Amino acid sequence: MSVFATVRSTTLLGVVGRAVDVEVHVGVGLPGFTIVGQPDEVCRESRDRVRAAFLSRGFTWPNRRITVNLAPSGERKGGSGLDLAIAIAVLIADEQLPPNVADDFAFVAELGLDGSLRGVVGAAPLVGAVRDRRVVVAASNAASARAAGASDVVVASDLAHTVACLRREASWLSEESAAHTNVLDHLPDLADVRGQPVARHALEVAAAGAHHLLLVGPPGAGKSMLARRLPGILPALTNEQALSCTMVHSAAHVSMPASGRVTTPPFRAPHHSISLVGLIGGGTAAMRPGEISLASEGVLFLDELGEFAPSVLDSLRQPLEEGVVHVSRARTTLTFPARCLLVAAANPCPCGAGTPGVCVCDDAARAKYLRRFSGPLLDRFDLRVSVGLPQVDDLVDGVPGESSHVVRQRVIAARALAHQRGGGPNSAIAVDELDRVAPLSIAARALLRRELEVGRLSGRGLHRVRRVARTIADLDAAAEVIGEAHVATALRLRTSLAQLSGGPR
Amino acid sequence: MRRVRGDGSPTVSRVRGDVSPTVTEHVVAAALASLPQVGPQRLRVLVNELGANNAWRTIRGEVPPTPRIAALFAQHDLGRVWRQSATDQLLEQIAESLTTSGMSVLLWSDAEYPEALRGDPSAPAVLFVRGNITALRHRRVGVVGTRAASAAGRHFARRLSCELAANGVAVVSGLARGIDAAAHLGALDARDSAPPIAVVASGLDVVYPREHATLWGSVAEYGVVLSESPPGCAPDAFRFPLRNRILAALSEVLVVVESRETGGSMITVEEALKRGVTVMAVPGAPLSSTSAGTNQLLSQGAAPVRDATDVLVALGLNHERHRSHRETRIAPSPEDRVVLDALVQQPLTFDQLVQRVGLPIQEVAIRIGHLETQGWITANAGWWEALVSR
Repeated sequence: MSVFATVRSTTLLGVVGRAVDVEVHVGVGLPGFTIVGQPDEVCRESRDRVRAAFLSRGFTWPNRRITVNLAPSGERKGGSGLDLAIAIAVLIADEQLPPNVADDFAFVAELGLDGSLRGVVGAAPLVGAVRDRRVVVAASNAASARAAGASDVVVASDLAHTVACLRREASWLSEESAAHTNVLDHLPDLADVRGQPVARHALEVAAAGAHHLLLVGPPGAGKSMLARRLPGILPALTNEQALSCTMVHSAAHVSMPASGRVTTPPFRAPHHSISLVGLIGGGTAAMRPGEISLASEGVLFLDELGEFAPSVLDSLRQPLEEGVVHVSRARTTLTFPARCLLVAAANPCPCGAGTPGVCVCDDAARAKYLRRFSGPLLDRFDLRVSVGLPQVDDLVDGVPGESSHVVRQRVIAARALAHQRGGGPNSAIAVDELDRVAPLSIAARALLRRELEVGRLSGRGLHRVRRVARTIADLDAAAEVIGEAHVATALRLRTSLAQLSGGPR
Repeated sequence: MRRVRGDGSPTVSRVRGDVSPTVTEHVVAAALASLPQVGPQRLRVLVNELGANNAWRTIRGEVPPTPRIAALFAQHDLGRVWRQSATDQLLEQIAESLTTSGMSVLLWSDAEYPEALRGDPSAPAVLFVRGNITALRHRRVGVVGTRAASAAGRHFARRLSCELAANGVAVVSGLARGIDAAAHLGALDARDSAPPIAVVASGLDVVYPREHATLWGSVAEYGVVLSESPPGCAPDAFRFPLRNRILAALSEVLVVVESRETGGSMITVEEALKRGVTVMAVPGAPLSSTSAGTNQLLSQGAAPVRDATDVLVALGLNHERHRSHRETRIAPSPEDRVVLDALVQQPLTFDQLVQRVGLPIQEVAIRIGHLETQGWITANAGWWEALVSR
């Protein structure tokens, strides 16, 4: 008499799935149902769901002592995705199913009390952890499970159907794959922006060199509109990038396209009331990726930068530098991706007018406002652009600007140049590489020297200006050497937020 | 010379009796000024009418109060409050801070007390001085304006003050942010011809705003900084309008460079009009809120200031003496001029500027670089402003 069965499933840890063996022992003793192996609350409740599903679908519940072990037992298991695996294991252990019937399968689905299969959070990373097997999932998870690149995903409607398929008495449901369209062209188009040539150019430079961008301007200047058009001019995601995005989005349970796969650079715009954990990731029970990870490979847009809690903004610095977030808690340390392009928008001053002669803020109020932005974070923005209110003529009669499609081609070409020079985007050029990668013409060198001499440029600022100038030259498809025009433009795209001090020389 | 430093130079008139011999009448007056609830009016009663030493003794109860003083003591229980504060310790403290900060004290009765203030109905009874009080012997023009000034306004204030100083006219201002600071900077540019004069609201050892510490030092070194507030006195809001009356009284002509319709500059203007001081204003663009106040003054009959000659003529100085400001900046090239002309009309962001002149971004960036290097334009919190008189 087989009283023991092992069935494969997975559980979610951060943004990666971990394979779990569900071991079930059905033996003599007082009737009972115990789950061991560090299940969390949701997981422990699965005994009630599994039992109800058995009875609703006409299976016999073994009135014996049932012990479920989730191996490896040292790690904490969470979520309801183990339900189906537990049910199948109980059926095998109770000899209602032949042994070995589930050996080639893994099961990732929640059971309803009526025995139906339900989708779970994080299907993509969950399935990604059991790529060597056929994975049984609920219909709603099929798309994202396939997106994870698992070789064989099959869909069942309910527990009875699953059992019938395992007995080869029925066939798995077929699932038509979503048609692939060029999704980049459905993003908001840059052609909608009339006028504002410099802001458009700044977006292009940001996209081409992966430079973080700060837009400063009064309310109504179109800062959000500009930022939302950045994903559309980024190069399409590579397969690996798309997979990594899909994993994170699936694990965080944010809405995804019908294809189940993130195919466009994501755009995340968290509200300024966001907590540190919300932005960076973490949490106690389920370690959830934060907005910075959801925006990985895409754009993180922080509107009203001055309204975010300073501690939240400061926490961005290290992830932006390293491209990953390390979240450490008492039990675990997880790593989330954080390769995002940061775009922030801020009002120029408390009154929002900014324009000299219109602004009613005095120096003190302005200085107080500027202190809210931490200096080190402001330093991360290679591009700082003042955006004025668009002119009426442009709004009404202006001709549409270049479309995102045209701009994207230039961005792709510029990124290809950066790639040829070796590796990453221009924003990541190491300081000791600058002379080799971004040589300056004599006029450009003289211009930078002047800026340094009069104190308008710091040493760190110099490196950032040179990187941006490299990108501008790349977009120009210009020569190897960076010219005066490129440096001059890079300097102009780096507005100082501070007002002229009326103070001593 | 009875102007006295706190270190007790030999010309000091000693206080006889119980106070220590190094404590002079001037130190006592300074101590009276730092008693609680002593404003300019009460201080005038105490120092001018009663005499500082006498007032001190009366407060200490060593001399019976006259009926006038008794009435003053009765107000708000002032007699008791003052008696508690008027200690020997306070005298020592004041004497020490006068010594360490290098301040001197001028009483209304002193010969060195500025003549422009002596006849004033609300003249401060005690003046604290850092620097050389003889700076006030020059012709004096007040140059004031808003703290939130435009770059063009600051530029004009600095140039005007420089030219006035170069023609031997001392510039009086308040060491505040914005126009005031620019005026002092301009006056310092030509400090060899005329010294800068500052009137401040806080105690002379309390620099406000703090970022002007160097500027305070320079003004005190080459000119003079005045205050009626005792050492250690914070820049309380109510002291600024009081300061403005001294500023107005010291000015023969008051020039408002930029101001909104209300604010400290307008208070100075009122004080100046009360005293019959000529008020002049710098015209500005009708839509610029920083020029709303000055344009209003012009419409009410103030004389316009286009350059230093206008002010020199108002002072009755031979305007032929006016040494014109020599333009030291390199003339912009015709290409750069296009960009400069666009900015002369109004401040623009880089974005707006590119649209206005209709040239490629890189081309405009280069021209901005030229103009900025040559000193024709300046960046101001994201806006580019032309530094030429409108």
